Amino acid sequence: MKDRIKNIVVTMVFVIVIFGFMLMNIATPDAQLSASERRRLAQRPKASIENILSGALFEDLEDYLLDQFVFRDMFRGIKAFSTYYVFHQKDNNGIYIQDESIIKMEYRLNEKSVLNAAAKLNEIYDRFLTGKNVSYAVIPDKNYFTADHYGALSLDYQKMMSLMRDHVSNMNYIDLFGVLSSDDYYRTDIHWRQEKITDVADVLLKGMGNKASTSDQNYTQHTLYPFYGSYYGQAALSLAPDSLVYLTDTGIENAVVYDYETQSKSGVYVPEKFSGIDPYDVYLSGAKALITIENPNSLSQKELILFRDSFGSSMAPLLLKGYSKITLVDLRYFATDLLDDYIDFSQDQDVLFLYNTLVLNNSYMLK
Amino acid sequence: MLFSSISFLYYFLPVVMGTYFLVPKGMKNLVLLLASLFFYFWGEPIYSGLMILSIVSGYLHGLWIESAKGRGRGRIPLASSVVVSIGMLIFFKYTDFFIENINLFTHAQIPLLRIALPIGISFYTFQTLSYTIDVYRGDAKVQKNILNFAAYVSLFPQLIAGPIVRYTTVEAELDARTHSFENFSYGVNRFVIGLAKKVLLANTLGELVKTLTGTPQRSVLLYWMLALAFMLQIYFDFSGYSDMAIGLGRIFGFHFLENFNYPFISKSLSEFWRRWHISLGTWFKDYVYIPMGGNRVGKLKWLRNTVVVWFLTGFWHGAEWNFILWGLYFAVFLTLEKFLLKDLLERMPSVLRHLYMLFFITISFVIFNDSADIPFLESLKGMFGLSGIPLASTETLYHIRSYGLIMVLAAIGATPLVSRLMTKIKEIALGRKIINIIEPIAHASLLFLITGYLVDGSFNPFLYFRF
Repeated sequence: MKDRIKNIVVTMVFVIVIFGFMLMNIATPDAQLSASERRRLAQRPKASIENILSGALFEDLEDYLLDQFVFRDMFRGIKAFSTYYVFHQKDNNGIYIQDESIIKMEYRLNEKSVLNAAAKLNEIYDRFLTGKNVSYAVIPDKNYFTADHYGALSLDYQKMMSLMRDHVSNMNYIDLFGVLSSDDYYRTDIHWRQEKITDVADVLLKGMGNKASTSDQNYTQHTLYPFYGSYYGQAALSLAPDSLVYLTDTGIENAVVYDYETQSKSGVYVPEKFSGIDPYDVYLSGAKALITIENPNSLSQKELILFRDSFGSSMAPLLLKGYSKITLVDLRYFATDLLDDYIDFSQDQDVLFLYNTLVLNNSYMLK
Repeated sequence: MLFSSISFLYYFLPVVMGTYFLVPKGMKNLVLLLASLFFYFWGEPIYSGLMILSIVSGYLHGLWIESAKGRGRGRIPLASSVVVSIGMLIFFKYTDFFIENINLFTHAQIPLLRIALPIGISFYTFQTLSYTIDVYRGDAKVQKNILNFAAYVSLFPQLIAGPIVRYTTVEAELDARTHSFENFSYGVNRFVIGLAKKVLLANTLGELVKTLTGTPQRSVLLYWMLALAFMLQIYFDFSGYSDMAIGLGRIFGFHFLENFNYPFISKSLSEFWRRWHISLGTWFKDYVYIPMGGNRVGKLKWLRNTVVVWFLTGFWHGAEWNFILWGLYFAVFLTLEKFLLKDLLERMPSVLRHLYMLFFITISFVIFNDSADIPFLESLKGMFGLSGIPLASTETLYHIRSYGLIMVLAAIGATPLVSRLMTKIKEIALGRKIINIIEPIAHASLLFLITGYLVDGSFNPFLYFRF
């Protein structure tokens, strides 16, 4: 190609790219949500004298133009591909891929946060749980299993657990680190797979002194596919989806979930939620401040109060075998001060605090 | 508005380019002026008035100097121009620094004014000053058309982060300039390369710098990695911005002078400064150093001139003591190189001279990068193992593995290796044809990749905005 023609081609290519994307962006209607990133996208800001003069309008416009850019997911994929495979960076925005599994690399141990979590457990014990059979268990995040092999950074789990054991009082610690493996987690999501954690449920039941066991249960497996977990969108790469499996037996099928916030009843699983923004909401309808599950088939009158994060949603149905009622409290959405307004602590209750390591490391979200 | 933003790349630029090339010749400067004012207003709504004031001041002072010169009284309007321009710069950039230090040394309790630094003030103030001084000296004709003058000062390609374009450089082109596919194509090439330097390299290195700065796991290796990453980041950030400015200027028919010339291949610190931020170095040389006598004076006066120029160079970069120290650091080394090290350096093998330069430049950027998170003395102690910290940490080793290739690519990109290779290939007819085919494909690919980084919302600071 001659220089003169090259100059024309370079000019035309540049003009086509910048004009082309401008026109496509203008012509494409704005989206409300990003399904892959599971978040609301910025919308066109409204102008006012105040936000123009303060510069806030232009900052909002930058966010809006970024969020509404055409082929957003494709471009995020290009960036992720370049990061991993061109520049050979070990992670992209703290996410790395190991054996088709997407893992978030949180590695700076926030000791103050862990101590805060321990203090929160102690506070709840002292205020509401004195004399009860109280246990706590910690769920390792996926990075615990894969970091060494991949060469990624990871939390100092030993120190974290040592801090918890040294500072949590009056509670029985149930160790889950040795029971779980990376296969027990979804490849595209942060959570554990319900069909893989019946043995973990047994460890928890046994740890709380409950003689029930899931091993004699004949669960029916219900498979939902494809399941794109919360890490899938963050990875921004084309990876195989998971299957989401939920387990039922007669007890689970007959159990009734009561949501205090909406004052409504539902089943343990809500398969319709699979097509929602977070398919993991199939389990107990997702994030809820306070719910109860009543098990009419239970032979025991014992109740369980489960202080939990989202991992508890898929675990609670498996624990139903040992309890007539499980009260699930998510302290990320429910204030400690309100506990005895809603929960009658005078009943015969076991109590379990079940949190994953990432919550302990960011525990100021616990109210 | 940042060049490395969706708003600039896919909205502002196509609209401005389309309008500019559609309007008749006589309206092109007006289009550039309006676009530039909007560009500045987008990032700095309140201080747009200040920039306009600076333009009006420079324009009127130019006319005043021209008319007063005829009566032999040019010095008064020149002094007025300097006082207004430097006064504005001092007030908006340095007031709180002076108050803090007065409070510190006199235990006074003068409240800080907490004035936000207007973006680009150091650049457009120096451009306006260069114009009035050049008119006074007779090096430039007075610009009687305020639109042309305003277009010069506010020209968006170089408005907020340089290079400092002298009026004399674009004087003729403000009145008449040519537009061609050759200019446009050259401009696109420079712009896309600059954008890639900024978004792919500088921003990624910036992420690394931020991560290393925030880690509690300090080690000797970490401090060295931080120093090298920051040095490369600031180079690609600023030289990338200059490339974009030069490229955009060329698209619109302006020929800006180069601002960087592979500074890291220098073999002395004096040479480094002939290759780094050339527009600032030559500005101080022409408007401060030479008027004070330059090097045609005795040793003591030369020393005074050198200290003054480097003090000002450091202080120009920011109202902090570390920038002053950074400037004086160069004053010391340039003095040493002139009087003591010159013969020694000339006798040294090229590799050693290069290593000497790299070592002391790295140290200089550690001083430059002083922050509350990592004060430069802490960095220097850490780098030389004086802090009792381990040689390496797991985290540092991870970051070396993760960012190793980027750092190697950046190091290679900071040399003229690729440029020389391209020149060699183009010397062969077939090679030239192949390069001509690859070039537009490479531009489009880079634009897609850069857009990916921008859409992903990656870390995107511009270091030279604060100056």
